Amino acid sequence: MNGWRTLAHVVVDPLPADWREQLATRLGQRPRRIGPWAELALYGARLCLDEAQETALPAGAQLRVASLNGPVSATRAVAEQAGVGLPLPFSFMQSQPSQLLAALSQHLGWQGDARFTLCRDPQAVLRLAQAECGPGGLLIGWVEDGRRSEWWRLAPPPP
Amino acid sequence: MNEVYLAGRGLASALGPDVAGALAALAQGGVPPRRFELADGSAWPLYAMADDEPDWPTRTRHITQRVAAESSALAGPRSGPLFVASSSLDIGWLEQSHDFNRDYQQFAETVASWLDWRGPVFTVSTACTSALNAVLSARTLIRNGQADHALVLGMELRNRVTVGGFGGMQLLSATGALPFGQARNGLVLGEAVAALHLSSTPSRWRVAGGANVVDGRDPAGTVPSAVIAMCEQALANSGLQASDITLIKPQAAGGVGSDATEAQALREVFATLPPLVSFKASIGHTLGASGAAELALLTACLDGGVWPHIGYAQDPSLNATLSQQAPQRALHVLASILGFGGGHTAVVLEDREA
Repeated sequence: MNGWRTLAHVVVDPLPADWREQLATRLGQRPRRIGPWAELALYGARLCLDEAQETALPAGAQLRVASLNGPVSATRAVAEQAGVGLPLPFSFMQSQPSQLLAALSQHLGWQGDARFTLCRDPQAVLRLAQAECGPGGLLIGWVEDGRRSEWWRLAPPPP
Repeated sequence: MNEVYLAGRGLASALGPDVAGALAALAQGGVPPRRFELADGSAWPLYAMADDEPDWPTRTRHITQRVAAESSALAGPRSGPLFVASSSLDIGWLEQSHDFNRDYQQFAETVASWLDWRGPVFTVSTACTSALNAVLSARTLIRNGQADHALVLGMELRNRVTVGGFGGMQLLSATGALPFGQARNGLVLGEAVAALHLSSTPSRWRVAGGANVVDGRDPAGTVPSAVIAMCEQALANSGLQASDITLIKPQAAGGVGSDATEAQALREVFATLPPLVSFKASIGHTLGASGAAELALLTACLDGGVWPHIGYAQDPSLNATLSQQAPQRALHVLASILGFGGGHTAVVLEDREA
């Protein structure tokens, strides 16, 4: 879409061996109770905001996340648990994409419009996100469990 | 900017295979939930659809095709965006097939192929708020002229993971769904497939606006400031004041703390609460489908003069009483869903015939 500015773009692929330690150092604590997919999303989003020189996601910005495989390891684990009994609460929570949004909200110090929206065509995901975005801009990421985390911080054209 | 209207709706739920069946069942006082048994032998009430086809994809395909056709969306060009909104997606299918190589988009694309849908296909998965977020996205594309119609499908179908997951988190009621009830003690889940056909062609119900607010401070619950922000943003987005709202359909899922938190936050936004309505005791909490299922049922009830029977004592301490009858006039309706994962989403509808 014409006129959008890229304030930051981060690609984490391949993952550094110590990415979890880097994230814990950056946050000042190890994220608790979130699964590896959400943790990887948080790692990439935090790097992207750092590159954009933003300590927190500004109020009014919008957050979008997409992934073709989602929390695949947690989904497999919870399905196996449900096959023999009650799933473990944290396994169940980690299998839900919405928990990633909650984790990002919590650790980026932000309350706002966050969604997991997916299309096979990444450009369609981006166009929809841009159409929905207000003046606060967009933080949008594509995160694949255990493999990569790519994020953009985008600003809309001036009104 | 184009305006956006509800061109048609379809619904399969515990109340029946279509909207007319749902209204007939509601007029008779509703239906009881069934029992859904888990692998460990425990069983929970579930508002399940009366369709005992054992093969998950066959059952889902039949139901989806019927509901989409009921919405009138299949009578047109099928070239607009299709939004498949769900919390559990095809996990019930994976439980049968053990094929975990299917990616997250394949279910929505499979649904599109069942409907011979030719437009772009989106998956929206934000837990309970999925379908309302899909409505907001569809509205954006129609308003901006990027589409002249769209189909939102809210889909939540039987599976062990969801019932077991909520059971394991001790969020389910073992007895019954009592939204805003004095003896409420948890959620009762439900199955639903709901279709909302949205269009730029004027019709009775206009989608006036809405808002989505995520706050992760309580990943499994309701955050008061987020409920307030959701209402205020939805009203502003619709060009309305709180006093313009004449009916509210809250989340009202039957949780002890969450119902109280929601009621208190609503009272902070609305100096005098307008009439309230809930469908959770009629179809259960249908999670990612609930936004579409409850909008389909709500508009059908207002169109048809049918209203859900409340067969239990409401909680007077909430100061938020569900209405026993349909309001005479419901010009602006605020419908909200609050979700697992800190999601708080509302849509405002305008009745152009009120």
